[in-house]
Formats: sequence, C-alpha cells, structure tokens
Amino acid sequence: MNEMKFTGSKEYVASPELMAAVDVARALEKPLLIKGEPGTGKTMLAEAISQAFNMPLYIWNIKSTTKAQDGLYVYDTIQRLYDSQFGEEGVDDIKRYIKLGKLGEAFKSEEQVILLIDEIDKADLEFPNDLLWELDKMEFYIHETRETIKAKTRPIVIITSNAEKELPDAFLRRCIFHYIAFPEKEEMDEIVRVHFDNIDENLLKQAMDTFYWIRSIKEVRKKPSTSELIDWLNALTIGGIDPEIIRTKLPYLGVLIKKDEDVEIVNKRKIY
Amino acid sequence: MFTDFLYVLREKGLNVSLTEWITFMDALDKGLAYSSLEGLYNLGRMILVKTESDYDKFDMAFMEYFKNVHIDMEMPPEIIMKFLDKGEMDTSKLNADIYSYIQKRDMAETKRMYRERVTEQNQEHNGGNYWIGTSGGSAFGHSGRNPGGLRIGGHPGQQSAFQVMGERKYQDFRHDKTLDIRQFQMAFRRLRQFSAKLDVAKTELDLDKTIDSTCNNGGYLKLEFDKPRKNSVKLLLLFDCGGTMMPFSELCNDLFQAVHKANHFKDVKTYYFHNCIYSKVYKDAECEMGNWVDLDYLFRHTDKDYKVIIVGDAQMAPEELFDVNGNYRGPNDGRSGYEWNKLLRDKYKKAIWLNPRFHGKLNDLAWMESERTLAEIYDMYPLTIDGLKAGITKLMAPR
Repeated sequence: MNEMKFTGSKEYVASPELMAAVDVARALEKPLLIKGEPGTGKTMLAEAISQAFNMPLYIWNIKSTTKAQDGLYVYDTIQRLYDSQFGEEGVDDIKRYIKLGKLGEAFKSEEQVILLIDEIDKADLEFPNDLLWELDKMEFYIHETRETIKAKTRPIVIITSNAEKELPDAFLRRCIFHYIAFPEKEEMDEIVRVHFDNIDENLLKQAMDTFYWIRSIKEVRKKPSTSELIDWLNALTIGGIDPEIIRTKLPYLGVLIKKDEDVEIVNKRKIY
Repeated sequence: MFTDFLYVLREKGLNVSLTEWITFMDALDKGLAYSSLEGLYNLGRMILVKTESDYDKFDMAFMEYFKNVHIDMEMPPEIIMKFLDKGEMDTSKLNADIYSYIQKRDMAETKRMYRERVTEQNQEHNGGNYWIGTSGGSAFGHSGRNPGGLRIGGHPGQQSAFQVMGERKYQDFRHDKTLDIRQFQMAFRRLRQFSAKLDVAKTELDLDKTIDSTCNNGGYLKLEFDKPRKNSVKLLLLFDCGGTMMPFSELCNDLFQAVHKANHFKDVKTYYFHNCIYSKVYKDAECEMGNWVDLDYLFRHTDKDYKVIIVGDAQMAPEELFDVNGNYRGPNDGRSGYEWNKLLRDKYKKAIWLNPRFHGKLNDLAWMESERTLAEIYDMYPLTIDGLKAGITKLMAPR
C-alpha cells in the first residue's frame, strides 16, 4: 500500500512538491489543504488522485450557507412531521429520517475513499472549527438514533481554499499545507499539452508568449489563469487563427480577459 | 532532532506549534524526507507553514539553519569523486574570492571558476585552499572549512534546495510587504459587525426555530423571528492627495477599490485632503478649490459610530500642522490643522491613520515632528497587510 505514490494523472500535471504533499498527507493521515490562485487546478487535483489511486471520490461543495452539520447528517423533521400527519408507516423509526451528508457517506463507505471539501473558505468563519473532531477522529455521533458513524478506513481528505477568508489556527495546525504557485512557462507548456493532442507549435508559442505578456502587465486587475488560457487556445484553434497575428491583433481577447477595464489596458499596450 | 531549527523558525516569526513540530518529527521517522535536503525542505514547509505569505520566512530560516551550501552541478571527473567520498568534518576559514561570488550568488562566475579548476586539476587534493578536495579551505569540495563553499561529492543524491530558497520567490507574498487589492479586500472583510448583536427589531423569519417550535407545538405552525444579519459598519475614508503621496497613488487607488468593491458596508463616505486636514475636505482626488465640504457639515451628517480611516504620509511641514495660517489655500476658520485633527478625532469613537511611509519608533527624529504629533492623536499603522489588519482590529475593538 505504501508503495502507491501519487505521480499525477493523464489529465493532470502535478509539480514534484505537490505530489510529495499528497504522499505525506496520506502517510500521516492528515487532511491536505490546497491553496492557490483561481484556475490553478485545485479541484482537479482530487479527481486526479481519485483516478490515480482508483478510489471513489466524494465531493462536498461548500457554500456561504453551508454548516458543518450538513456534511454529517440531516434529520428531516419536516418530512417526519408530514408523514405523521398522514399516518404514513414507519414514522416511529427515526432512522428513516436521518440523511447522511457527504462526510457521513464517505465515512460509511466500505473501501477507502477520497473526500474533497471544496472551497472551505466560502463558509462561515467558524465552519472549519466545527469539523475538527470529525476530521481528527473520522467519526461522529447521531444524537437522534444514538449511533456512531465511524470510518472503517480513513478517507484521504483534500480541502481547497481560495483564501477568501483566513482559516482558524486550530484547523490549520492539523493540515498539511500546499500552495499551488502559478505555473512557469515550461510547466504551463506541459499542462497545455495534456489538454491538446496535436497543437500547432507556432500557435502555441505565440499564444503562450502573449498570455504571459498579459499576465506581466501590472495594471491588469484580473490576471488570466490556466483554464482561460486553455479556452483561448481552443478558440484560436477552432477559429483557424493565423499564429502571426495573435500578438498584434489579440483575437478572442474576451475569452482571456473578462473585465472591460483590463481589455482596455491590454489594447492600449498592444503592438501594431 | 533539529530542535534548534524550531527556534530559528520561531525567531523568524513563524508561529510553529508543538503539534506541528511533533507531526514533522513523526514524518521524519516515517522517512518522508527521503534522506535529502530538498525532501526535508519540502516536508518541513508543508507541515510547518500554513500560508504562502510565510514561505519566505521559512526559506530564510532554512537557509540560516542549513548553512552548508549544497548546489547541484555537473559531476567532476571520476577520480576526484572517488577520494571526495571519504573525509571528515572540519570548520571554518574562507577562500575569500570564491566565497564572495557565492555570497553574491553569482552562479555563472562560480561555475566558471569551478570548471576552470576541474580542467586544471588532475590529482587528489586534500587540505589545500585552492583545489577541489576534502577538508581544506577551498571553496570547492566537501568537509572543508569554507562555510560558503560548494559541496562536491560526499553526499548521495541531488541537493538543490539552496537554489530554490535562494530565489526567495515567495517574498512577494510576505504580509509585511505592501499589499495588493485582493489582500486589501481580504483585510476589509474583517471589518464587520453584525446587526444581530445590536438592538434592532426581529424582522427576519427564523426557519430552524420555526420548525422546532412547530414540532414542539404538536404540529401547529408557530412562527419565530430573529434579528437580520447585516453588517452595520459605516466607514469614513480620508485620503491625502498631497504631492508627497504621489509615489503611493497606485497603492491608495487599490485601497479605494478594495473598500468600494467590498459592498458589505452599511455606508462608505470618501473625502480627500491636501497634506493636512483643515476646515474643509475635498470631494474628489483632484482637490480643486471650491469642490469641497466643510468638516463641520461632515460632522453634522455623520454620527460618532462612523469608523474613520485616514490614509496619508504625515509628512507636512510643522507650520502646516501647527500654524493657524498653515493652510496655503486660505482660511482655516481660525484653527490650526492640529486643532482640526483633534476635533475630528474627538467626534468619532474610532479612527485610525494608515501611513505608507510609517517610521514607527524612529519618528523621534526632528523632521518627523508632524508624524509624531499625529501618531499621538490617532492610532497610526503602516499601510501594509499587517498594518491594516492591526488597524482594523483597533477599529473593531469594543472600546
């Protein structure tokens, strides 16, 4: 089992540091916290790990209204109330109205699974603290049925954050942390090639040069990310754009840059 | 193991907890550093550092603790490698010229010198100061007395951690560096005070409580209400647009953008001043004569709960601050800038001053009289992430 090492996957290019972080998190049985600019493939990592290790993936998407309890279980009181008024059968069985959340499902699984807690910073500031015990012990207690749900094999927990909110220290102390830096040109080249089987070399070079040039303009507020570059390359290929005019005409710029002010800034700087 | 390293880390300002340190030790026991310096560096960083803004501090601490510089270069000829692999540890004395190149991280020059020696050298050298060898003072070889020397041979594996750290590519993320808009926004998120804690009417339907009460009520609907959760913070921003603030115009613009994009405030009022606050503040950054409002008017139209953030470098000449005629743009309504600032401070419960040129404790120098005086009136913080965070904490403090 320890022989299994994460080496990225066909669709996902991971840096050596990231691969090491995945292995360490696994070996130490601690959650792996991934932070980075939007579009650096934080969420894709969990999918890649799930594929590489051939384990099922449970995704818990966090929203601003998500509470820790939602991930464990929900007691559907309304349904029970409703059923009781119409004399449904089994109303006296509380178990029927306990619905496990993603964390609960992951714990209940027979085999080892990957649990992705996506964008944890979206939730309330206290949210991560409410999960400390559950993530440490990999178990929780259902009061209504007096039942303890305990993971048979500890899931590999991946947590992503866009750094919108600071996470509490007590939570951070328990995690392995990795920051995905924006890929350098060489690394980006590799990533792009994973997405495109055969791409015109000249087109790729011109597009990459332009992309990094735009990123280097200090005034551009929302810098284009990897996913935008890939969309752009797609558009350029489908549109059959002559590579020579990419740098001068900036075709389909809207795919790359979403803000009007930024488009203006880039257009002002382009060379004719 | 490496316990001293923990203290070096803490000295550099990294708040490594005992839990994390024990996890690190545990990981070392499990062999997760793969017996290489690079592995150790990665492992330490992922366990002990929890934000990219601290990566730089970690790099510095690591460099300091693991001073022996290990750089991966082309392998020297077989014969030299062979004898390099035996040898004892020895301590310091330098081979000045090459050491200084390494200090400057002039890798091209160091490599050139190294290559020169590899070509010149065709026999074993141990204990000398020039050739590649063991236990000497030369900058090349291993087990030598030259702490800045390059390790050649002696240890297995490739060890390029120094180069990674030497780049210090994470220094842009440091909190104490001046910050960008996203980080500003992040900091402003802390400026929240939910009305749920205030004395307002219960006007919002509380679904959870309603369900509970209805259940307790034997299934008959019973509605429950709660106070709405809205941010009640009101903000008054005052920007210095004087000439000395020019270098910081982009920074001020970022701060301005951050406040206006953070639409969670109940109200934001922004005004501008030129070098010092007098009886009038301007409506826009151009600070044109006439395009202003009286400070008195502002006082009347804002209550004391407005939280005031003043951004300026406090570099006005003392007479601009203390003289009743200090305002070159005309009347001050009989008061000096100092008095106007006092009035402003007294009007509002909470006010901070963010200074991009903050001198802190160094402000006892004669020409910093203005900064010193204003720092006595307002709580003054540097215009950095840490400064802004500290300032906002001050603004949010109950008293």
